[in-house]
Amino acid sequence: MSRALLEVTGLTKSYPGSGRGIFRKSRVPVLRGIDLCIAPGEVLGLVGESGSGKSTLGKTVLKLIDADKGTVRFDGRDLAGLSKEELRTARKDMQIIFQDPYASLDPRKPIRAVLSEALDTHNLHTGERREARLKELMDMVGLSPEFLGRLPHEFSGGQRQRVGIARAIAVEPRFIVADEAVSALDVSIQAQVLNLLADLRAKTGISLLFISHDLSVVRFISDRVMVLYLGRVMEIGPADDVHFKPAHPYTAALVSAEPGLKPKPGRVRLTGEIPSPANPPSGCVFRTRCPYAMDACAAEVPKLRRLGKTRFSACIRDDIPTGAQ
Amino acid sequence: MPFSRFSFPRRLIVASLLLLLLIGSMFAAPLLTSADPVQIAVSKRLAGPSWAHPFGQDEFGRDRLARVLYGGQVSLTVAFLASFIAMAIGTFIGLMGAYFRGLFEFIAMRVSDVVLFFPPILLALLVVTIFGPGVSTMVAVLALLYFPSFSRIAYSETLRVSALDFVEAARALGTKPRRIVVSTVLPNILGAISVQFSLTAAAAITVESGLSFLGLGVVPPAPSWGQMIRGARGFMEQDPLGIFVPCAALCVTIYAINLFCDRLRDVLDPKGMEDGKDSVSPAGRQTAAPAKLDTDSAAELRGLTLSLNRGKREAPAELVRDITLKLRRNQCTALVGESGSGKSLTSLALMGLLPSSIRPSAGHIAIERKSGAAVDLVSLAAKEAEKVRGDDIAMIFQEPMTSLNPVLRVGVQMVEALQAHRKVTPEEARNRCVAALDRVGIPEAEQRFDSYPHELSGGMRQRVMIAMALLCEPKLLIADEPTTALDVTIQAEIIDLLRDLRANQDSGLSMLFISHNLGIVADIADRVVVMYSGEIVEEGPAGDILSDPHHPYTRALLESMPSLHEEMHSSRGDRLGAIGGTPPLPQARPSGCAFRDRCPDAKDACAATHPGLYPSQDALRAVRCIFAPEASSFLKEACDEPCVA
Amino acid sequence: MIRFALNKGLAALLMLWIVGTIVFAVLFVVPGDPAELLLTSDGAVASQESVESLRRQMGLDKPLITQYLDFLAGAARFDFGQSLIDHVPVGKTIALRLPRTIELILAGLFLGLITGIPAGTWAGLRPGRSFDRVVSAANAVLISVPGFVTGTLFIYLFAQVLRWLPAGGYVSFASDPLLHLKLLTLPAITVGLHLFSIIFRMTRASVLEMRTHDWVRTAVAKGLRRKLVVRRHVVRNALGPIVTVVGLQMGILLGSTVLIEFIYNWPGLSGYLVTAVQQRDYPSVRAVILVVSALFILINFMVEMLYSVLDPRIRL
Repeated sequence: MSRALLEVTGLTKSYPGSGRGIFRKSRVPVLRGIDLCIAPGEVLGLVGESGSGKSTLGKTVLKLIDADKGTVRFDGRDLAGLSKEELRTARKDMQIIFQDPYASLDPRKPIRAVLSEALDTHNLHTGERREARLKELMDMVGLSPEFLGRLPHEFSGGQRQRVGIARAIAVEPRFIVADEAVSALDVSIQAQVLNLLADLRAKTGISLLFISHDLSVVRFISDRVMVLYLGRVMEIGPADDVHFKPAHPYTAALVSAEPGLKPKPGRVRLTGEIPSPANPPSGCVFRTRCPYAMDACAAEVPKLRRLGKTRFSACIRDDIPTGAQ
Repeated sequence: MPFSRFSFPRRLIVASLLLLLLIGSMFAAPLLTSADPVQIAVSKRLAGPSWAHPFGQDEFGRDRLARVLYGGQVSLTVAFLASFIAMAIGTFIGLMGAYFRGLFEFIAMRVSDVVLFFPPILLALLVVTIFGPGVSTMVAVLALLYFPSFSRIAYSETLRVSALDFVEAARALGTKPRRIVVSTVLPNILGAISVQFSLTAAAAITVESGLSFLGLGVVPPAPSWGQMIRGARGFMEQDPLGIFVPCAALCVTIYAINLFCDRLRDVLDPKGMEDGKDSVSPAGRQTAAPAKLDTDSAAELRGLTLSLNRGKREAPAELVRDITLKLRRNQCTALVGESGSGKSLTSLALMGLLPSSIRPSAGHIAIERKSGAAVDLVSLAAKEAEKVRGDDIAMIFQEPMTSLNPVLRVGVQMVEALQAHRKVTPEEARNRCVAALDRVGIPEAEQRFDSYPHELSGGMRQRVMIAMALLCEPKLLIADEPTTALDVTIQAEIIDLLRDLRANQDSGLSMLFISHNLGIVADIADRVVVMYSGEIVEEGPAGDILSDPHHPYTRALLESMPSLHEEMHSSRGDRLGAIGGTPPLPQARPSGCAFRDRCPDAKDACAATHPGLYPSQDALRAVRCIFAPEASSFLKEACDEPCVA
Repeated sequence: MIRFALNKGLAALLMLWIVGTIVFAVLFVVPGDPAELLLTSDGAVASQESVESLRRQMGLDKPLITQYLDFLAGAARFDFGQSLIDHVPVGKTIALRLPRTIELILAGLFLGLITGIPAGTWAGLRPGRSFDRVVSAANAVLISVPGFVTGTLFIYLFAQVLRWLPAGGYVSFASDPLLHLKLLTLPAITVGLHLFSIIFRMTRASVLEMRTHDWVRTAVAKGLRRKLVVRRHVVRNALGPIVTVVGLQMGILLGSTVLIEFIYNWPGLSGYLVTAVQQRDYPSVRAVILVVSALFILINFMVEMLYSVLDPRIRL
């Protein structure tokens, strides 16, 4: 296996709890020991429901948020070991695309300023080559170069998302975190943006961490998929395998809950609510909703077990009638 | 966007002119009057207006006009200088505090807290006690008084702006923090700061004049308005003009600053201006001619057109055009479309909950009541409509987090819904509500009845909404994207619940289900109605539409859904069948077919005719496309010769 | 709830201590000798003797820490030392005058609330209609008139021209209830008018905002009567923000009451304070400021408690 572009080990992050005042100072764990790696040119999909910590993971990996514990290595370098100045330079190689097309662009800056600022930051394409590069970028994301002078409010949601992508690829990064990048878009526009990302990836060989709550979207765009629940990895493996033959009961439940036109082999019904991240269950975090939970699940946190070459699942049972068997 | 095109906002013109006029006349005092504001003429004390002294002379015989003008200079200079210093210091501290944390954050929050806990005039008095009165003391005191409000506002605004993705994007790009603050954060908080500046200037003038009035502010002989009022107070019975002149000057100045501030706020945050969505005062009009319903309909829309009033200058925009729709009894009809398609408005019209700026400009609505009578909630008088809503027809909404009143217990909100339509004792109401909560699968319903909404999860709140909607066993339930805000696993549970409830309500329950997601629709609907740009483009039995769509838009929607193409994968070079472009604005639809400029199959003829909704021969489905199979048979029947090339 | 109250109560005490410390420290932060500073005015230089005597009188000759502890201990017992001018214990004067100030504020608050909330609600429910236009426009003028201007003009109009009411003064309620109320009328209306303009504005804005919330639409969809929707789902929710604003305004009000009391010769804290400031009677000034700030902190504590009753989400 070639060297990983991004290598994350034991990533842990918690936020201060909501209880303010003199008496209570609790912390809510959001990520609890995440390991992952992404190869050059690979798309890793990250699926999870609200409270799973998927957005936090995306930002921690880019060191936009500092982790409590764990290391993030990008291209072999530990990001925590970089000075502020080195980190700023390193950011040229790792970019982010956001969910909300309205909040992700400064309402006061025309598109030209948005893209120029990105290029200025890393002294790329200065002088006469600047204009050509701006036009090229607009072209790459399917926008007319005439739009360069326009302000964000003159664009539709889908077009803004394209501008956001143009800003991210302007500095020719090797890795992009796409944080729910298509979730706010209507389905027809969502397909346009997904196709655009797939084309960019095919053309430039960029690596993506694609975060979404929509399993089908993630399956379509990703090579491998990682399923997150309450800050822990439930399952990770090749996209089609995870989707069609889920090994973990949670993945199975997610897949079967997807609304769809095709008949499902049978719903995995979950019970109860997603527990509060402030007070997660002991042992396996999923056990309170799992139809297959046993006493042993409460005892200790299940380790990721290897099921195939690149396939892991964090369930202690082998006898679960999910798609994998 | 404000200031985006460098044109001066029209709303600010009057206020700015008034302010400029006032400031200008005060600082042009030597041009307006030759009198000396401190020149005493004891023999002429309290003299009335004359040519030389248009506003008369004060208790020392000084010229009042000159004193008002020069006093204004002093008051305005003190107020604006102090506000400016407060703004500079406060904004700096707030900005630094929010962006870099640490010591600045401590100062911005804690120190400001302390200063804010001193009543302003008292704090000023404390300082005056120590330093003695005078102009420079005034400026220092006022700056000290008001810098905390600036640092507060700069702090919270910076936090708000910094949380926006575009600031995060700048950080992710590796832009230097100083540059982010100056070129990205600062311009976006300037609006709030400038509003605060004018508020502060007005407050500073008030405090300054108040202190001068007490004799503790600007020290005589330098003129100031507060002092003039103080001086004239003793003689106001003989000489009321002495009071009126400085009072008027003071109040008009404060008014001008306030007016400017209000207008500035309107310009920066236009949303407060509009009469947004207002469900409290729907305009009840005269009852229209009683509508008739087909025997198998729960509700019908006939030719309904909804127009948005865009003010006097522009023509109203038709957001929904000529919708004819029949909700069959005991069936679930799904209304599908993307944002802006008009699906939610259509459902709000059924419920009589249209925002006041949107009115039906044509067509009829008819809903069947339990009594069998048909009513139209949009035109029904308010009192009558109240009886229908909640009893005959109920609705659940998209956002379970905001659809329940946060300050009232769940039980209170349910009981009031029941009591609006049924005479029940409190005890009986409680029992029925707890039973309803139990029926929608809420565990420990008895306890949940006494919970506040924020103590429940999103899924639970949506269950409460459903229980509440079904309390009076309505005949028709409208569900407006009820699962969009929920997680996938919870969404599946809610869909299951709605399906079960529909099957189990003995009196029968028709449903209108609004969604943008064709997958969910497949799970719940009997019939599907697809909307695009305010029109129905295709309708028919759910199975037929989803497996064999006839309209190119429906087809393209299905093509673009990754969940329907499980054989495809991006890494194998597969691409989804996306629709190019974006839906047109209601005031800029293309001629002919509204979908033609995005349609892969569009031909010249599509621009020429606006297609009708052509029914199939068995009348089960209908399509708005001249190339659909329904159209060809329909058009053949309707014309002798082919109408379309 | 108890924990919330305890938290907020402790925070209020902490704030009180900080305010007390600042009031104490202000004199020493300023460069130069405090006693000299207080005696220096208009360029006149005080004699060495008088500086010495002032220093002794204020205890400035003791070590700073002793002075500080004495001050805190005294403040806790409502003992603020003696006035530099008439040597009456400051605490006694405050105890006599404070209730009068509170009476005036409560009367004004009452007037402001019973007029401001209904008018604001009515205007907020029908924005752009004639009532809203007229009252909002009038209010924009009203909010621009400082309290001491209103007071002065009221005296001119009601006491001097129309001669309906006395221009000012005070008798105790016990000695002449009717005259007491007559004398209270104009100052209370002046305070009330000032509060009205703020409460009206806030109520209108709050109602205007609340009625666009989703839960109001839910209430209408349930078929509730309009009155009930307005009362329970609009006004009830608007009360929280209104209470907060009124609480914050109390600080400004406590200040502007100083001016209004001064105009009407209402013998509350103000006359005392103004004279004390003019004569640079530092012990009196700092005692009044400390007491009024404590009052303000107490009001804010009560507002926070009230808010948590009005909005259960706060108690988290």
